[in-house]
Amino acid sequence: MTTVPLAPVRRWILRTQSAHRERGATLSSLYIGALTVAIIGGMLHRQLAEVFWPPHPDASGLAGASLTALLYGLLYLALRRFGPLALSRAAASWLLTAPVSRRSLLIPSLRIAALVAAVIGALAGVAIVGHTAPRTPPVALLVTAGALLGLVLLLIAAAAQAGGRWGVAVDTLMSLVFAAGFAGLVTDTTLDQPVAVTAWPPARTLVPLIAGVALVVLIASALVVRGLARTPSDHILDASRTAGTLFDTAFGMEPSFLTDMIERRYWSRRRLRSVALPLASRLPVLTAQDVLLTLRRRRRLLTLVFLAAFPLLLGNAPAWLLGAAVLLGTLTAAMTATGNVRTDAGNAVLLRLLGLSSRQAVLQRLWVPGVLAALWSAAALTALDLLGDLPPGPWWALGLALGPVGAAAAVHRARAGFVRNDLLPLDTPMGTLSTGPLVNAVMGPDLLLLGLPALLEIAQHNPLSWTTVLVQAVVGVIGARAYVSGTTETTRTELHAS
Amino acid sequence: MEAVEVEGLHAGYGATPVLVDVHLTVPTGRGVCVVGENGVGKSTLLRCVSGLQEVESGKITVFGGDPGATPEFWRAVVTTVEPPTWYPGLTAREHAELVCRAHGQEPGEAGIDEALERFGLAKHADAIPPSLSSGQKQRLVLAIALLRPSSLLILDEPEQRLDREGRADVAGLLADYMAGGGSLLMASHDDDFAIASGAAITTMESLSAVAG
Repeated sequence: MTTVPLAPVRRWILRTQSAHRERGATLSSLYIGALTVAIIGGMLHRQLAEVFWPPHPDASGLAGASLTALLYGLLYLALRRFGPLALSRAAASWLLTAPVSRRSLLIPSLRIAALVAAVIGALAGVAIVGHTAPRTPPVALLVTAGALLGLVLLLIAAAAQAGGRWGVAVDTLMSLVFAAGFAGLVTDTTLDQPVAVTAWPPARTLVPLIAGVALVVLIASALVVRGLARTPSDHILDASRTAGTLFDTAFGMEPSFLTDMIERRYWSRRRLRSVALPLASRLPVLTAQDVLLTLRRRRRLLTLVFLAAFPLLLGNAPAWLLGAAVLLGTLTAAMTATGNVRTDAGNAVLLRLLGLSSRQAVLQRLWVPGVLAALWSAAALTALDLLGDLPPGPWWALGLALGPVGAAAAVHRARAGFVRNDLLPLDTPMGTLSTGPLVNAVMGPDLLLLGLPALLEIAQHNPLSWTTVLVQAVVGVIGARAYVSGTTETTRTELHAS
Repeated sequence: MEAVEVEGLHAGYGATPVLVDVHLTVPTGRGVCVVGENGVGKSTLLRCVSGLQEVESGKITVFGGDPGATPEFWRAVVTTVEPPTWYPGLTAREHAELVCRAHGQEPGEAGIDEALERFGLAKHADAIPPSLSSGQKQRLVLAIALLRPSSLLILDEPEQRLDREGRADVAGLLADYMAGGGSLLMASHDDDFAIASGAAITTMESLSAVAG
C-alpha cells in the first residue's frame, strides 16, 4: 500500500483551520493563557512556594522515599489512563484510517507527552528535594533526575500502550508502588523520631548515574519511536476518546461526562456471571441490587480500606481540616454504592418498569451507602484514636453515627444530574462567574452539614462523650429522613433532585 | 371501563403539529395496532398515552384515570416507547430478575430463563446489556415487558429486529396476554404480525377526525 506523506496533509489542515479563525485569535488565546498563569501565580505564589520549596526541609527520609513512590507511581498511572499517546477525535476519525505513516501521526503526541512528563517529573523532584533534603549543590542534578524519571515512566507507558499483556502487570506493579508510598507516608506520621536526610550522594556519584539514565532514555526513546507504528488502533482510539471526553468535561464544565465514561469502560471490561440477587427474600429489592453492585467492586472496597488511613496524614493539620477530611471520606465511601441512583436520576425508565415511587427507591437505596459510610468513618476515627491524634472517647461509635449523613449526601450527589447552565451568572471583579457548575459541585457535600456535631467535636479536640454520639446519630437520622421526605414523593417515579 | 380513551388529541413538536384531533379507544382485554408510514405520529401517540409527552389539547384516560408519573400507573402499564437505560454492573438476566422481584414474582416461577430462550438471549444472559447489539437490547426489553405483570402494554414496533419465527412467537405471546385479560396498544409496520397478535388494525388517518 502506498503511504501518503503526512506533513503536507497536516499543513493543509492547519492552513484551512486558521483560515476560519479570526485574525489574531491564536495570539489572543496565547495572551489570555499567559495572563491567567501570571495572575494565578501572583495570587498563589506563597502557597506554591510552601508546597514545592518550604523555608526549611520538613520531612524525614521515609517521607521523601514514600513521596517519590507516591508521586511517580501516580504519574505513571495517569499517563497510562490518558494514553499516553492520543490523537484528537478528528484525527482519530480521519487520519488514523488514512494511508499515512502511523509513526509520523503519533510523534507529535509523544513529543507533547514527553514535555508534560518531564515537567511534572521535575516539579515532583523539586517538591521532594524541597521537603526532604539539605539544600546542597546537587539540587539541580536531583531535579534533572526527576525529569528523567518522568521520561522513563513515559517511555514505559508508551511501550505498554503498544505492547501486550505485560502492560497490565506493570500497571499492577505501579499501583502497588503507589500504595506502598501511601503506606510509607502513613507510617511516617506514626513515628516519634523519623530519620532526616542529612546529605545527598556527592556530585561525582550522581553525575555518572544521571548521565547513564539519560543515555538509557535516549536509546529507549529511539526504540519506542521505532515501535510506534505497532501501536494497535483500538488503544489509540480509546486514548482519543478519553482525551475528547476530558476536553468536553473541561469546556462544558460537566464532570458527569468523565465519570460516566470511566464507569462504562470499567463494566465493559468485566466478565460477569449472573447470580441471584443477594438476600433478595430478606432485603428490599433495590437494596439487594446495591449489595450486588458493591460486592462486584472489590478493588474499590480495598481502596476504601486503604483510604481509611488517609486522615492519619492530617495528624499535624488544623483539627477542623481533619474533621472535614473525615466527612469528605464518609461521602466518598458512600458514593461507592450510588451508581444505580445516578442511572435512575438520569432517566427514570427503569424505575417506571419497576413500578416504584421515588420515595421507595431512595429509601431502599440509602441502606448500602449508609453501611459503607458508617464502617469507613468508624475505621478512620478508630485509627486516629489508636494513634493518639484524638482525645479519649468512643470515636468508633461517632463514626457509625455518621452513616446516615454519608448516605444522604452521596445519594443527593448522585441525583444532582447535569450542570445547569441556565442559572444567573455572578459578576465579580475578576470577571463573570457561571453559577451552574458551583451549584452542581456543592450538591451532595452540602448535606455533610448534618455531620456538624462530629466536625465540631473533632475541631474542638475535647474528650468525646456518648451524648455527642447520640446527638450526631439523631441529627443524622432526622436529617436523612427529612431529605427523603422533602425531595421525594409517593406519587412520583422521577428521581431527579428538586 | 375502557383501557385507553383518547378524544380530540392535539400534539406536536414546537410549531410542527403531529397529531391533529385524534380519537382512539382501546377496550379492556382487547388490542389495537396503529399502522402507517414513518413520521405520521404513531410513536407520538403512544408517548402521549404513556404520559411521556405533553399534549396541547384533548383528553386521554387510561383505565379511567390520567396517564401520569404515578407508581400505580406504571404498575399497570408497560411501555417500550422510550430508549432503554441499564443499571451498571448488572447482567441481562439480573435485570429481568430485578424487575420480577420488584413486582413480587419469584424468578423461577416467572419463567425468566424460558423468556430469554424464547427471545434468543439465553447465550447472552451473563452479558451486560450495553454490550448487546441494538436488536438484542430491544428483545431484552420486550422479554422483560412481557415477564412482569401488567394490565396494558404500549409497544412501539415490537416486531422490529425479530426474525420470522421470533415475530410469530411474540405475536402468539401478545394474543395470550390479551386472552388473559390484558390490553394492548401498539404501533407496527407489519400487518401480518398485527393480525397474528389478534389486535384490531387501524391507520393514523382513520384516527384523525380532520384527516378523515
